[in-house]
Amino acid sequence: MAPKVPPQPTLEQSTSAVDAGHGHHHAHEAPPKGIMRWLLTTNHKEIGSMYLIFSLIMFFIGGIFALVVRLELFQPGLQFVNPEFFNQMTTMHGLIMVFAAVMPAFTGLANWMIPLQIGAPDMALPRLNNFSFWLLPVAFGLLLSTLLMPGGGPNFGWTFYAPLSTTYAPPSTTFFILSLHIAGISSILGAINIIATILNMRAPGMRMMDMPLFVWTWLITSFLLIAVMPVLAGVITMMLMDINFGTSFFNAAGGGDPVLFQHLFWFFGHPEVYIMILPAFGIVSAIIPAFARKRLFGYASMVYATAAIAILSFMVWGHHMFVVGMPLAGQLFFMYATMLIAVPTGVKVFNWVATLFRGSISFEPPMLFALAFVVLFTIGGFSGLMLAIAPADFQYHDTYFVVAHFHYVLVPGAVFAIMAGVYYWLPKWTGHYPNVRLAQWHFWLSVIGVNLTFFPMHFSGLAGMPRRIPDYALQFADFNFVSSLGAFLFGFSQLLFVAVIILCVRGGKKAPAQAWGEFADDLEWSVPSPAPLHTFETPPTFQRPAH
Amino acid sequence: MWGVIKSVLAAFLGVQRDQQRREDFERGSPLAFIVTGIVMGVLLVAIIALVAFLAAG
Amino acid sequence: MRTLLVWLAGGLALVGSSQVALARGWNMPVGVTDLSGEIYSLHMIIFWICVVIGVVVFGVMFYSLFRYRHSQGAKAANFHENTTVEIIWTTVPLLILVGMAVPATATLQKIYDPSDAELDVMITGQQWRWRYEYLGEDVAFNSNLATPRAQIRGEEERGEHYLLEVDEPLVLPINRKVRFLFTSDDVLHAWWVPELAVKQDTVPGFVTENWVQINEPGIYRGQCAELCGVDHGFMPVVVHAVEEDEFDAWLVERQEMAAEEAMGVDRDWEMDELMERGEGVYGSICASCHQPEGQGAPPAFPALAGNEELIAGIEWHKDVVINGVSGTAMPAFRTTLNPVELAAVITYTRNAWGNDTGDAVQPAEIAERLAQ
Repeated sequence: MAPKVPPQPTLEQSTSAVDAGHGHHHAHEAPPKGIMRWLLTTNHKEIGSMYLIFSLIMFFIGGIFALVVRLELFQPGLQFVNPEFFNQMTTMHGLIMVFAAVMPAFTGLANWMIPLQIGAPDMALPRLNNFSFWLLPVAFGLLLSTLLMPGGGPNFGWTFYAPLSTTYAPPSTTFFILSLHIAGISSILGAINIIATILNMRAPGMRMMDMPLFVWTWLITSFLLIAVMPVLAGVITMMLMDINFGTSFFNAAGGGDPVLFQHLFWFFGHPEVYIMILPAFGIVSAIIPAFARKRLFGYASMVYATAAIAILSFMVWGHHMFVVGMPLAGQLFFMYATMLIAVPTGVKVFNWVATLFRGSISFEPPMLFALAFVVLFTIGGFSGLMLAIAPADFQYHDTYFVVAHFHYVLVPGAVFAIMAGVYYWLPKWTGHYPNVRLAQWHFWLSVIGVNLTFFPMHFSGLAGMPRRIPDYALQFADFNFVSSLGAFLFGFSQLLFVAVIILCVRGGKKAPAQAWGEFADDLEWSVPSPAPLHTFETPPTFQRPAH
Repeated sequence: MWGVIKSVLAAFLGVQRDQQRREDFERGSPLAFIVTGIVMGVLLVAIIALVAFLAAG
Repeated sequence: MRTLLVWLAGGLALVGSSQVALARGWNMPVGVTDLSGEIYSLHMIIFWICVVIGVVVFGVMFYSLFRYRHSQGAKAANFHENTTVEIIWTTVPLLILVGMAVPATATLQKIYDPSDAELDVMITGQQWRWRYEYLGEDVAFNSNLATPRAQIRGEEERGEHYLLEVDEPLVLPINRKVRFLFTSDDVLHAWWVPELAVKQDTVPGFVTENWVQINEPGIYRGQCAELCGVDHGFMPVVVHAVEEDEFDAWLVERQEMAAEEAMGVDRDWEMDELMERGEGVYGSICASCHQPEGQGAPPAFPALAGNEELIAGIEWHKDVVINGVSGTAMPAFRTTLNPVELAAVITYTRNAWGNDTGDAVQPAEIAERLAQ
């Protein structure tokens, strides 16, 4: 599959592949000015930055929705919002965080870093890259606008189970479907681009097994995206037909099956969960060796474990449906398959710990976030293992225990990994180190906030609090009080993150090309800091690391 | 062939020796690995399903 | 400064009240059935396995973080692979998982064996109440949230069982195997009582089953666990488990009440009687969507007060209530309500809030229509 001879980029090719081969020989023409520059750019770094800024904005919008939810749950009773709006907030929080914050953030990092890490001048399909990005503001502008429509926005949870999302849905649901279609197309196009780049544009001498793990995990993630996004598109199209064209895919009265919706949704949904965590594994696998000053333990195993997790992710969707009344054999199948996932996931955690063992460890901001990732993601993994036990899931299912579980893997998991990645690569992007003192404040406030928010949810769930309720019985009051305090702490401490980024863009301690020492030695550290707009116009010759 | 199966098994577990991995990647075509991977993936599903059906009676 | 002190005192009081909560429930309840006990032990076993693995892994990790600090001049070793170690840390978890799967499978097999049940109860989820039907016993009733809205809005002090109290609990005998059949009239719901360790989705158009054999009499409370719309949070489950002879007596009493109600179908009802009965039915069944004053919540839930279509069309009105409107949130009430209740609620909605049509719909008329 990997080409023996990578493409030899000429000067034309590297400016922007759009111009290549069309006889436009103005290699470094001045880019259009103002807004047009950003609308038309095909440069992977600029598009990467746009993805990252977009996802940061969406992170705050989704965060505000979460704070509305936590505000209402601060005390028993209905104080601030009515249950209808509460449901819209929980739904929009989930949709925005999953599809508009976490996924675009990883795509943004991929855009910036994959060409740099494999020594390519740009992404393989730069125009498609621009299109993938600009679909996103359209998709999520549309999604957010449903909140202002008559009848309100989506109110059926981010999992939008039929028939609540079809027969019983607000009129704006058709717009919700359209926006998800657009976001899905964006993801698929982005994934195609990443695969094409990784398979075709590696520097001469770099084989697949020489690629940094971030590249590997993104390659596997891209295949997951291409495999499951069409399933999502299918299921929302069926909803569209049920709502507008009188079909009965999910309507029992017309001979349909509401459970079919769940099978299709989770066949997409479970790999989707791994789409949000595999690139995080890649980032952490770069950062831990860099600050432990020691090569990553078991590189090959890491790649193989990623592949194993990806394969298994297609056979476990039923564990989201243990209480819908599946036959016993189905129940057992999904329980066994789900338990198996713990093995490759465990391998990863053990490898990170073994990398730390007998290293020479320092605690720069990226490392702080990476270490918190390992601990807190593992806690999320433990509760995942508990949820895999089907009989026990009869008690855990749809309670705050589940909310605690997936927030542990997604917030101090995926989101912390993104933040770790941002701190790690900021010197490369801006030429300055991030302000250490502010970053430490951001880290500690985030860690405390996250745990205050989500740890008590384990208890409220076990004690019997169902998820997605706007008001609750009095015995859950203390847990919710603490969770809400933690959520506000976590939410507001993210303003520090923005401050660090802005300060870092505007100035700070100058960073050399190899900003984090000799063990951060992937190809991106061989170009100057800040990375010039065009890099690797002449492909580097890849040298395997000496140590 | 046995070597290919062993490597695919290692991928399923997520553990592989660097030496073996290097040898695998020296081979010209990944086709054998892909085919074996798919076959063993189906086999894995079949085995778990079999155990589940046996346990379900 | 003073506000700070107040906050501090408030914080301390909260910590104090947390200690109370600690005694009351931070963990899954052991429950009152054999199966709930088994599920609780599975939960605790897997929990302690996770704790042990966590202590080992995090122990090594934090030891390394402390012992091999760069600032203390630690020199990094140069190893990056060890197949033996890797195989050990793959196979050990695998064995633990197999060890865990065996008891989990055994428990699951028991959950999936509802045979030899002595009593069948059909549980139907509806937006936003539960309907219980004792199959073959001619007893059926709805179970609605009993917490007053004033408590939810904070205008009244909240009671001990805030949001976990209903007008009519499900009454079950102890020591008898009771089979539940679940279905739904509209969207998905999930019937859940933690103490019974039963949580089952109710799926419209499909019937799922589960069972319970309660060991101790008592009142067990739970909630709907699957998002089912606006009032998902206001759909509690209360199970009243009683001694077997007490249950039998209760069942006979309910059967007599049902028979009496059936007799009521044949007689002529006064307007006042219908209005009084109708107001009760409206409050427990209709008000959650169409609102207490009939003002509705458009566009999903149309207003009934001053609704011209309703005022003009009595036959259409009956049809809507009895058969529902397909493609909307309006369910068919032909099985949920009996003829007396249907007649009463139709009469009520035709005459309340200034609708004043003067129509009194008789139960007999409805019964005839249902028989067609």
